[in-house]
Amino acid sequence: MNASRDIAQDGSAPFKARAVPARRSLGWLNSSKGLGIVLLMPALMLVVLFFLAPVVLTAVFAFTNMSTATGITGGAYQVSPGTLRVLSDRYGMGELAERLGQPTYIVDEEGLAALEEMGIEPGIIAGLRDDHLGETYSSRREFEREIRDLPDRPSTRTVKQISAEFSRSLANARFRNAGALVAAAEAIDPDLGDAEKDALLDATYTGWTWTTDNFRRLASSPQTTRVLLNTVFFVALTLTLFNTGFAMLLAITTHYIPERPAGIFRIIWFLPRISPAVIYVLLWKWLAWDTGFISAFLDNFGVRPRNWMLGSATNAWVFVILINGFVGASMGMVIFASAIKAIPQSLFHAASVDGAYRWQQVRHIILPHLKWPILFVTCYQTLSLLTAIDHILLSTDGGPGGATEVWSLWVYHTALNNYAGNLQYGYGAAMALVLVIIGVVLSLIYLRLFNYNALIIKPRIEH
Amino acid sequence: MTKHLLRTTAAAVVLAASAGAASAESVTISVWAGGSGPNDNYRVDAIEMAADILEREAAIRGEELDITVEKKTDNTWDDFKQAVTLAAEAGNAPHILVTGHEDIAPWAQSGLIVPVEDYLNLDAWPINDIYENLMEISSYGGIVYGLPQDAESRPFFFWKEHMKAIGYSDADLDALADKVEAGEYTLANVLEDAKKMTEAGVVESGYAFYPRPSNGPDYWQFYTSFGGVMEEDGKLVFDKDAMQRFYQFFVDAVEAGVTRKNHIGTPWDQWYAEVASGKAGLWSGGTWHYARYVNQEGLEDFFGSLAFSLIPAGEGGTANTLTHPLVYVLTAQDNEDEVAIAAELVKIASEPRINTLHAIKSAHLGIAKQQSNIDLYASDRWAREATERLLPHANAMPNNTDFGTYWNAMWSGLEAAWTGQKTPEQAVADVEAELKNSLGEAIVIR
Repeated sequence: MNASRDIAQDGSAPFKARAVPARRSLGWLNSSKGLGIVLLMPALMLVVLFFLAPVVLTAVFAFTNMSTATGITGGAYQVSPGTLRVLSDRYGMGELAERLGQPTYIVDEEGLAALEEMGIEPGIIAGLRDDHLGETYSSRREFEREIRDLPDRPSTRTVKQISAEFSRSLANARFRNAGALVAAAEAIDPDLGDAEKDALLDATYTGWTWTTDNFRRLASSPQTTRVLLNTVFFVALTLTLFNTGFAMLLAITTHYIPERPAGIFRIIWFLPRISPAVIYVLLWKWLAWDTGFISAFLDNFGVRPRNWMLGSATNAWVFVILINGFVGASMGMVIFASAIKAIPQSLFHAASVDGAYRWQQVRHIILPHLKWPILFVTCYQTLSLLTAIDHILLSTDGGPGGATEVWSLWVYHTALNNYAGNLQYGYGAAMALVLVIIGVVLSLIYLRLFNYNALIIKPRIEH
Repeated sequence: MTKHLLRTTAAAVVLAASAGAASAESVTISVWAGGSGPNDNYRVDAIEMAADILEREAAIRGEELDITVEKKTDNTWDDFKQAVTLAAEAGNAPHILVTGHEDIAPWAQSGLIVPVEDYLNLDAWPINDIYENLMEISSYGGIVYGLPQDAESRPFFFWKEHMKAIGYSDADLDALADKVEAGEYTLANVLEDAKKMTEAGVVESGYAFYPRPSNGPDYWQFYTSFGGVMEEDGKLVFDKDAMQRFYQFFVDAVEAGVTRKNHIGTPWDQWYAEVASGKAGLWSGGTWHYARYVNQEGLEDFFGSLAFSLIPAGEGGTANTLTHPLVYVLTAQDNEDEVAIAAELVKIASEPRINTLHAIKSAHLGIAKQQSNIDLYASDRWAREATERLLPHANAMPNNTDFGTYWNAMWSGLEAAWTGQKTPEQAVADVEAELKNSLGEAIVIR
């Protein structure tokens, strides 16, 4: 509305005077650079949200000792027998640990006054004052028994309230922040030194802390090399044999057969990709298990039934590569096939006239034209195989004996899988960060190797 | 005195005040149980029964309390623990968890769970009837965090027919459990008998000794059999020699052809069907297997088909078994009233009569002394014999925050040795390096 009114009001002005400010304000849209940024905006936001942010968070987590035990959101200060042992073993403050950590319940006037303030029945308070004033207990249970024996027997909830008021030690106490812990400790021992306070805070903190320990641990773990080699082996073999090799074979063979059967073949090879991973892997398991198809079939020839998938490391690798390869091949096939279609037919006709064999056509026409798709598929599939986890997890779960444990699966096992309920987020994130770095470095190498700049045609129309 | 106690106390005051007002209260209490199969429904159903009783108690006091119990069971442990920890981080943890006692240490440290002793009178029925050692297993650092939900132990099973085929008489089999206990029948004899069975052709090669096909507490028993100790004075212990003898035993079993090299990863369904139908000769299992063999796998004459004993001793150790009690634990919630109600529910669910339903249906062992005075429990031959023969010798895994890391390392070492990826010496050396690296001073290596 406003805009149209502005134009109407400006109607009397000379044409040029009106056009110039418009050009100035939106002029940047006329360059492909400016327009590009606008058009890329939604994609950029998605990249930041779903790719960049997780990487940044992974990097942050990697430098912490986060686990289920420490929690993610922050810790508290808990005085437990374990932390008291740390206090005496690591800091040599056994005496301090003893003083603060020994459960002590003292029935004193201070506590009784607090009870009065809380509105506890006077009969109970009187009972405590008459029978127990000045007494000391070293166990909560023992003290609570005495409270329950009072003539006016309080309810369980009240008993808990009362015992809390008379606690005069830090034993088994949990504090939200350092200030509360120090204040409570000073209430018991006003002469606490700074070194003692620091040690106490350090020993009782339950949350995560910043550390580079994860990387030291990763660098010196005997498992690291093994898993790394497994990953290289898996990615290299699956990539060359299936994701590019077999995909290229499928694309070229379907290029040379009539359109309709070619389509059917491509659809068949697409099935592994479009079927749900769980069902797809289950089919492989039915094929390979002791009671599965291979065993049942070979039984007819006197071969003992066995678990073909987990029988040996070699078997497991064959299955892992086949399972992933069949999924991966379909993508390369589609990309290569459409790229071959884009090659001008005249080249093939000319080659045929010159008497070139199929193989010569493949070598001198198809492959040179497929440089860009091959770069793309190799690059994309390397990264996707590096993070491939679902099919291996469902089929061998890294077995037998860790033989098919690849890096991404190791990350999963560390960060999200622990029989004793203590997931190692920090260590897992450090492993994941290594994977991110490997991915970035590989991408750069690929771009260099295939001479990315030469493949890009600069726009010819530009201001 | 402390923040947490103050918070609890404040909530208790609020609850007491609102209880006096006789207002209608409607709460939803969620309970999740891990590692629970078709016979374990009373782990969560007991909470529902308890809710009914608590509602009636409230009604008699003139209060209106309406509790809806949301139940969820998970067949596996890994998925359950992952779900619980992630839900808790997101602030959606269920009120009550039924989980292994070993989770108490890390979950208490993170503040995911709160001590039951902050809400319940431990001297009152039915908690005062629960076995003292089980209460200890449910504690961490001297604080009672959970109430035992069940007890069990893990026997060694012998398929009688196959034992007879290699020369054992009925009398020999009857005396076997005592011989195992006395250390006269050892793991060396297990290998020997397994070989005989394979040679005699009564079982297929690789089926004579057919232990649990996946990671689990069972394997710590073999470490103990060879003299290993898991924890001493609150510190984890890695006994290299014991660990190596334990790994070596499984490597020997594979080399002798009595255990399959690719045994780990066998599907559980297949495994249960095989051991319950006499396809295997000797194996280690759990007291709850009784329910599975009899109810699901159709083993009609359990006592006629199987003999059971402690896990035999190995070199340097003694016969033993392991109990892995599950516990009811309460998660930290914003609404303290709900935690207080959840605490009442787990207390009532621990009534001997209610717990007996679970104990007998799932073939676990009872948690309280009075259960032997309940007919359903007392007249069950399995519960009685298993309790007498196994429970006095049962160890438990330590409640230690770092135990999970130790366990993972132990298992990856065993798996690597078993499947021939590493020699036992190599595997132990790698586990040692891994533990030094990851746990440092938190573990004693000797």
